Amino acid sequence: MKKTLALASGFLLLTLALVWWLDSRQQQPVELIPTLTGQPEYCLTCHADLPEISVSHPAETFGCVTCHGGERLALDANLAHSTMRGGANPSDLSVANTSCGGTSCHSGSKADDRDHIQRVMTSVQSTYAGAIASIRYTFGAQTDLEAHFGIVPVTDDQTQTGIVALNLFDPAAESSPMIQKFGKNCLICHLHTEPREGENYARQTGCAACHSTVGHTFSIAIPYTQCNACHNRGNYDLRTMTFVERTDQPNDRLHDYYQPIAQFTQCEYTLDCVDCHTRSEVMGDGDLHANQKDIQYVQCKTCHGTLTELPLTRTLTDSNDVAFRMAFLNPVIDLKIGDTIIVTEQGEPLWNARLLPDGIYEMVGKATRQYFTFHPVMGTACEQNPDEQESHYCHECHAVEK
Amino acid sequence: MNRNRIIAMSAMQWKNKMTNISRRDFLKLARNGFLYLSGALAFVGFLRFLDFDPNPAPETEFDLGSADKYPLGSRTVFSEIPAILIHTESGFSVLSLTCTHLGCTLEQDADGFACPCHNSRFDADGKVTHGPATNYLQSLRVEVTAENNLKVFTV
Repeated sequence: MKKTLALASGFLLLTLALVWWLDSRQQQPVELIPTLTGQPEYCLTCHADLPEISVSHPAETFGCVTCHGGERLALDANLAHSTMRGGANPSDLSVANTSCGGTSCHSGSKADDRDHIQRVMTSVQSTYAGAIASIRYTFGAQTDLEAHFGIVPVTDDQTQTGIVALNLFDPAAESSPMIQKFGKNCLICHLHTEPREGENYARQTGCAACHSTVGHTFSIAIPYTQCNACHNRGNYDLRTMTFVERTDQPNDRLHDYYQPIAQFTQCEYTLDCVDCHTRSEVMGDGDLHANQKDIQYVQCKTCHGTLTELPLTRTLTDSNDVAFRMAFLNPVIDLKIGDTIIVTEQGEPLWNARLLPDGIYEMVGKATRQYFTFHPVMGTACEQNPDEQESHYCHECHAVEK
Repeated sequence: MNRNRIIAMSAMQWKNKMTNISRRDFLKLARNGFLYLSGALAFVGFLRFLDFDPNPAPETEFDLGSADKYPLGSRTVFSEIPAILIHTESGFSVLSLTCTHLGCTLEQDADGFACPCHNSRFDADGKVTHGPATNYLQSLRVEVTAENNLKVFTV
């Protein structure tokens, strides 16, 4: 009995020493109690090196779990990650409503301009409705160019465009082999799809496809390279119905970056896409649209006006104007009450472009923070027809030879 | 008998005892030592296990020290709460500096308080002057103890 006791106590001591040794080798838990939830989470034990995702989403307020999900108290990586939303990307559109939504966050009302998720879900970037309709029309599956199908089924019960719903596009249900191949090879640019492995122009899905420009960060200062992860990353070969991805990594934007046949004015290859194109154009306006052309409406005249009209402007009188909100989130310009900014035909603010006292205009690059000044067309020797405002008309005189 | 001599004698007695100890007694002593040590360590480990709280509630009570440190007219920010202690003719009051929109910590400026996350603004009394926040800043309970210390309660 005494011998057994001695052996047991020795064994217990050895076990305790082993436990102590293993425990001393383990990383000490790093606790964070976000003010939004008041619930401790230990994600920073392993992820303390991640940068703050944005000024608007500080970790001390939101923590990690509010957006990412996961097991907040787990220290084992597999267990901690087991219930994460969207893997490493909680903004994937399959989970964005849970991760990013909420009336105080990104699924608020249209009236206060916080219905981001609803707008994205119905946008052509998400539905890919125009491309699908075009291919189905080309190969005889439908008799018009109307949008009937989308990448995901979606409805719009307050439609302003006449499109109340898009059905699920199922390539396997199509009789045309070309449409089937389109479904297999070409559905790679919409916001639901994962980027192909190893591609040069990689991006994430969902909101992060545009807003996550560098690692674990979110921004509205989006450089053109982010847009071109989809919009300039290769060509469709309609004979074989494949997508031919470019493999180069050009550095010279004007001479190497774009398609050889394209023409550009100075602002088109100097500014970033988001300097001129608005939130509604890019993220959608809440309505289902048949194609990209139906939603993209900013033209040269939006900033430059015509021979007979100056660009549309709005003088800021309300501190709650959405222009101030944008300028707060991306403080590249010091907007003040009384400033006159350019607005689109639909009233959307180009909050980074304002009228200067001498009648010229200034624009600040949202991503580059560069200042540009420009004159209106009115009063110049421009020979434009005011009704011809698509960029190719302006390219006739103002394109830079490539 | 001085103290050093007593110690020297005790050490000698212990040495004699240890020199004369039988093998059986030595093993018994070692066994008991192991037994007590392992029991004690196991007990400490058990207490440590019971004491560990992986899901602790946030602190809700803060001691601000002597009330004399905050003269009439003073406005003192405590970032660890976060809150601002205001001393007026009416006495002490405390405003939470947690934004009522989504919970970011407010920063004090010339007009009152501003949220660095979403630009909500509040005047010096905690009233909303600019959204997206819609609710006033929360007033926190503050008490002066019998020792003239200030205590703030967040709930």
